[in-house]
Amino acid sequence: MVNFRFLIREMLEARHQAAIFILCVALSITSLVALNSFKRDVHQSITGDARALHGGDLIIHSHYDFSPGLLAAVNSLEADIAGKVRTWQFYSVVRNSGDETLFSNIMAVEPGYPLYGTVTLASGAPFAKQLAPGTTVVGRELLDRLGVKVGDMLQVGKTKVKIVDVVTHESSRPVDIFSFGPRVFVAAADLTAMDLVRTGSRVEYEMLLQVTNQDRLSQVVAQLQKAALPDQERVSTFQTARSGLKRFFDNLLFFLSLISIFTLLLAGIGMQSSLSALLRQKEKSLAIVRALGATQKFLLLHYLLVVLLYGFVGSCLGIAAGVALKYAFPYLFAGIIPPEHVSGLGLFDIAQGMVLGFLVVLFFTFLPLYRLREVKPNVIFRSESSQAPRGLVYYLAILAGFSFLTLLVIHQLDDSRTGIYFMAGTSGLIVLIAGLAKLILLALKRLSIRTLPLRQAFRSLLRPGNSTQPVIVTLASALSVLLAIFLVEYNLHSSYVESYPQDAPNLFLVDIQPGQRQGFTEMVGGNVQLHPIIRARLKAINGEPVKRGEQRRRFSDSLTREFNLTYRDALLPDEVVEAGGTLYKMDKKGHAPLQVSILDTVAEMGDIRLGDILDFNIQGVPLKAEVTSIRTRTKSRLFPFFYFVFPTEYLQKAPQTLFAAIHVEKSVIPQLEKKVVAAYPNISVINMAETAVQLGGMMQKLSAIVNFFALFSIFAGALIIVSSILATRLARVREAVYYKVLGGKSGFVVSVFFFENIVLGLISSLLGVLLAQGGSWALCHFLFDIPYRPYWAASMLLVVLTLLLVVGVGMTSSISIIRQKPIVFLREQTIE
Amino acid sequence: MREVILEANELSKTYTIGERQESVLEAVSLQVEAGEFVVISGTSGSGKTTLLSILSGLDRPSSGRVTMAGRDITELSEDELAPVRNELTGFVFQAFHLVPSLNALENVMFPAELKRDPAAKDKASTLLQKVGLWHRRHNYPQQLSGGEKQRVAICRALINTPKIIFADEPTGNLDSENSRSIIELLLELHREHNTTLVMATHSGEVAAQADRIIQLHDGRLQNGGGVG
Repeated sequence: MVNFRFLIREMLEARHQAAIFILCVALSITSLVALNSFKRDVHQSITGDARALHGGDLIIHSHYDFSPGLLAAVNSLEADIAGKVRTWQFYSVVRNSGDETLFSNIMAVEPGYPLYGTVTLASGAPFAKQLAPGTTVVGRELLDRLGVKVGDMLQVGKTKVKIVDVVTHESSRPVDIFSFGPRVFVAAADLTAMDLVRTGSRVEYEMLLQVTNQDRLSQVVAQLQKAALPDQERVSTFQTARSGLKRFFDNLLFFLSLISIFTLLLAGIGMQSSLSALLRQKEKSLAIVRALGATQKFLLLHYLLVVLLYGFVGSCLGIAAGVALKYAFPYLFAGIIPPEHVSGLGLFDIAQGMVLGFLVVLFFTFLPLYRLREVKPNVIFRSESSQAPRGLVYYLAILAGFSFLTLLVIHQLDDSRTGIYFMAGTSGLIVLIAGLAKLILLALKRLSIRTLPLRQAFRSLLRPGNSTQPVIVTLASALSVLLAIFLVEYNLHSSYVESYPQDAPNLFLVDIQPGQRQGFTEMVGGNVQLHPIIRARLKAINGEPVKRGEQRRRFSDSLTREFNLTYRDALLPDEVVEAGGTLYKMDKKGHAPLQVSILDTVAEMGDIRLGDILDFNIQGVPLKAEVTSIRTRTKSRLFPFFYFVFPTEYLQKAPQTLFAAIHVEKSVIPQLEKKVVAAYPNISVINMAETAVQLGGMMQKLSAIVNFFALFSIFAGALIIVSSILATRLARVREAVYYKVLGGKSGFVVSVFFFENIVLGLISSLLGVLLAQGGSWALCHFLFDIPYRPYWAASMLLVVLTLLLVVGVGMTSSISIIRQKPIVFLREQTIE
Repeated sequence: MREVILEANELSKTYTIGERQESVLEAVSLQVEAGEFVVISGTSGSGKTTLLSILSGLDRPSSGRVTMAGRDITELSEDELAPVRNELTGFVFQAFHLVPSLNALENVMFPAELKRDPAAKDKASTLLQKVGLWHRRHNYPQQLSGGEKQRVAICRALINTPKIIFADEPTGNLDSENSRSIIELLLELHREHNTTLVMATHSGEVAAQADRIIQLHDGRLQNGGGVG
């Protein structure tokens, strides 16, 4: 039976710990509720309709014009195909009637595009009706940047097309995140006149198909896959096709989910810690209740109700905060997702938040509640409580709880493998920190300290039964993850955006045809190195085929992708031979036989060594070469680099384009762009400095989002500190009273508190910094392959902030006792 | 006539509980001579502990004055009282109140360390040996029995050779055998160091061994306040 008076009295007591508990519950679900709801928005409005996103039931993709075999196979399936449309997508520079140019994303489409979804135009007219040969439909940004309007002419390649309308929305590109340049739709019939698609040009060829019978989809795919050139032509359905946009959102939301899950874990630890402190505080009154005949079940039931009611209040607060947060999302995700795609929180989100809140409360309060059975009436007579032995049920319950949490994490991340890795990693981190904390505390125990307040502070930390180790573990793990997020984020930022070297090339010129070599070189001033580009795939290493997913992946790179091979007979200025002595091995006649020099990064990626034999497929032609040297580079990725370099004579005659990376004065760039585009429309001029700024802006936006979500974790970490300090307040107050009774002045008591908090904060924050630095270095070195900057100032700032928080909260919660007469506490202890 | 080491004049103590004023002590005056063993006796709720805590400076009276070794301690601040507690007085409590983070030896040493006594460890060792707890010196309070804790507390009270020891029901939490040995120990040390011993107890057996009994009833002095 529930005793409501007892229940309400218990709920209203220990308000500080109750407030922390409720805040932790709220915090644990706020970001998750908002994020889950946002995920659904993204799915419903952006990535959910896969047919509209890809524009067809079947998508055939290639970087080359389709092979005759595949085209024949498509034609042979006439009965199965209800609609067919081809597209060509590439970057090029367009020009207004004056001299102004703009790097744009050109998409040439055949009539009938898109088969699914829509391209909405400003005029409201149907896309198919507006886009005719000799016309173009462009993004609004182009009008603004080139100062043109509908009706004006636009130079695209060697031809001029008339701007007839403006694109307002594309279902295949619902948001415009990583496109460096506005959209320019042209009719496929104009491609020849434009003369932009030549041998080796970087063009994405796509054929979109609509099938007559959806049930036949898999058979049609199978037939086309059989006809497609392996590793060159990709045939997929709308369900299996890759979407960069979907991948971007999946990755972003996944990362934010990880941070939110981490917040949930921290908040859960805060719940556990505050409830434990609350129960410890009430141990004697609970013992009295037991002595009066209350059963374990009575206490358990009432305290379960107490935490559930706290949980309910916390969940309501969390959902309310989630609603507020959701309203902030359009501002937070500005530039990434249009505000009209973000909806409010629905009933489902609220219900999900409630369920999540209760599950989290139940899991994290299980252990403290389980310990209620350890409350024995004899605690009334003894000042120290004894712990009951923990049986099989206890450990089974922990296992069940851990499994439940893993399932929750898997559900949130929507990825079982990562969920298990996350839980294993988190557990490993906790075990590692617990071990290190134990070692440090053991070392402190052996220290011989002469200063009494400092020694006493150490003694207090090392007191048997003290919660120093759990507090350190909690604090250090929270701090290490928060700092690691910061360090990785800033290292990525500094490697790709901030550290744009002064002398780095700021213009990349691609798709230069071999016949344009001389004219181009003269135009840009003569002193420019042109790198031949021959596109090829690596088929095998020492006869072992290279398969997707089997080789080690670094920074999302893969040995199965198409590479740009080059040939030359000397090292680049920023290259050094790391293994093999010279770039090539010469025979006795001073002649270089067929061989290949590889870059250290690709060597590591595929575990390739000197003497290994690599099999390449150069646009259908096989080529076998021995690795005779391994190069390394001294400059950043912004300087041109090549994984595979061959002696000139073997690749000279292969189909190729040329690539140049030049550094020119910023003020000269627009003029040079115009000159190049006017003379060679097929050459794409990429303004790298501008691209870096654009990329930097995007990264800053993403950083702001990540930091915003990390704030919740920081807040949860701060709550843990407050809760931990409050949990040990009684012990501190008791010791302070004893010091005073024995003749210690207030200065002494303050010193002991100060040192105790400082040592606790120092150990926790330094451990956190150590692990964060180690972990971030490993991530940057092994996963992202970027140079690592430790940002010691930020680490020190974290240490200082932690110390301020720990000392501040610790001193504030204990300082009142210094002015108080010791008898007040002693009397309470005696009366109790 | 011996020197008066502790003197209370017209002590009163009133607690405010909610809106109610409750008087615990009323106009209590007494004197204690140096080296005397005085028991404050009375039934539960008579005000023994309150009087002891005011006499020792742990609490402040609502009115009246307390003089210890010729110094008025009534209005002293907590920091001004610190050297008095450290050097002039020692405390033995019913609930022991040992510092949980210190082992037995460190607990005993602590008051001497506070006054930077370089011989703190030697003195503490001697005292622990004397009370038969040398072998338990590295044990923490929670590893000691009640009787052992109280013996450690007595050593701690004595380490700075105080002039007065205040003991509040020192046997209240102990069995009869331990109680007897604790009282014997206190009396032995009291005689050996000629320390003044002021003890609050309701035990008639203990009171019978005192030089003088101060009897309290409902916060008023029944008898024994003056020097005999």
